[in-house]
Amino acid sequence: MREVAITGVGSTSFGKHEGRGLESLAVEAANGALKRAGVERKEIGAVYLGNFIAGPLSGQEVLAGIVADELGLENIPCTKVEGACASGGIAFRHAVLSVAAGLCDAALVVGVEKMTHASGGQVTQALNCAMDNRSDGPSGLTFPGLFGLAWRIHAAKYGTSRDEVSAVVIKNKANGLKNPLAQLGADLSPEIIRQSQPIADPIQLYDCCPVSDGAAAVIVVAKERARDAPDLPIDVLASVQTRGSPRIGGHQDIVSFDATVKAAERAYQAAGLRPSDIDLVELHDCFSMAEIIDSEDLGLIPRGLGAKWAAEGRTRVGGEIPINASGGLLAKGHPVGATGVGQLYETVLQLRGLHANQVKGAGIGMTHNLGGAGIACSVSILKRSDA
Amino acid sequence: MQDKPGMVEVLRCGACGALDAGPREICPRCHQAALQRHAVAGEGTLLTWTVIRRPPAAFRAEGCYAVAVVELDAGVKVTGRLEAPEDVKGLGARVRLLRSKDGVATFRAA
Repeated sequence: MREVAITGVGSTSFGKHEGRGLESLAVEAANGALKRAGVERKEIGAVYLGNFIAGPLSGQEVLAGIVADELGLENIPCTKVEGACASGGIAFRHAVLSVAAGLCDAALVVGVEKMTHASGGQVTQALNCAMDNRSDGPSGLTFPGLFGLAWRIHAAKYGTSRDEVSAVVIKNKANGLKNPLAQLGADLSPEIIRQSQPIADPIQLYDCCPVSDGAAAVIVVAKERARDAPDLPIDVLASVQTRGSPRIGGHQDIVSFDATVKAAERAYQAAGLRPSDIDLVELHDCFSMAEIIDSEDLGLIPRGLGAKWAAEGRTRVGGEIPINASGGLLAKGHPVGATGVGQLYETVLQLRGLHANQVKGAGIGMTHNLGGAGIACSVSILKRSDA
Repeated sequence: MQDKPGMVEVLRCGACGALDAGPREICPRCHQAALQRHAVAGEGTLLTWTVIRRPPAAFRAEGCYAVAVVELDAGVKVTGRLEAPEDVKGLGARVRLLRSKDGVATFRAA
């Protein structure tokens, strides 16, 4: 397998894009990435487009081909990738595989979602497509509900408190204020969070990511082709994809997701690195409790201490392991199919030293994208090519 | 003395005897297409629960409701409903089946 690197990146802001369709958002992000790719459009040999719910919410499929046509790409394979909330990260892995295997020298990855035009009930219903609807779905469970279930177990097992969980929210919302692409940065206090509406006990409003529109794109190239790019190439040390149980009953407990644990193990092994080598991580904080579980599953924080480390400031920018300097899904937003690609975009800016909320001296970054009730996961490790 | 609890329908593999909450097509242990409906006692332990206050569109008419994960004494985990969550003493509490409707079991404190 060949070594691969990321050259061009592009992104829309995440948030409410009223009157703009999926195609418009995806083309803006992808065209931005193509302009900085260092390769010609005719050299792009494959497109992988991450998207989850364009069918139920917008009545539009075949987006990969539509977007490639708009961009003036050749008659290349264009594939939509669906893995619920992990769609974008999985799309990236497929592009990495295509280039690493030598099937093409350059590939476009774009993730896109359009959600804010639909009602809350429609969005919740569409997101529930990510459950196994033969088993957990009929109970009326929702995704906030899943993390409410997890929260009670985490609290009982490890003594995690409301205010410790709030530290995750406060950190990510504050990080979001510094990110020009973020939808919902905020300066919050534990009191404001405690008084916010209950959603799925103990999950409250500020524990949830917003509903978002947005798109992000990256260009993956064979490493030897990266030298012509206008910006510092970022090496892809690992890009891993795993499966976990689709059902709550299939997990040992729900304060750990096997898909993440296995993806992280394989990614560290592929990169020849340990958790302590990671300078920053963009991980899947669809809910506050999700960040806590993810950070433990990735081996970055000892089991049970995810919330306590946040409360001690160890996960903020400047701390031992900065988590979600972008604001994460909680503050930057979660246009589902775009999220995983957006995490890569943010990490590339960090590793180039160009991020608005820069982690000083960042040389190695990790991204983590988790789908459904832990059924699909992708973890990637990136490195500055001159580090 | 309490009445005998109701039964919860799960799946049992006719080939190897494995139990599973289902629905499933083939046995998760031996992979034979030999799963049969099997009733087990509706008694178990509450693993966790939540109150859904923003239901999906299909459940909107029900208002708020509690969803629970229960480990039945037969060794099968089911995702169902919890009636009167204020009556449970915490995680690990004993619960028993109150009713089953459309394949969803509703439990309450035993």
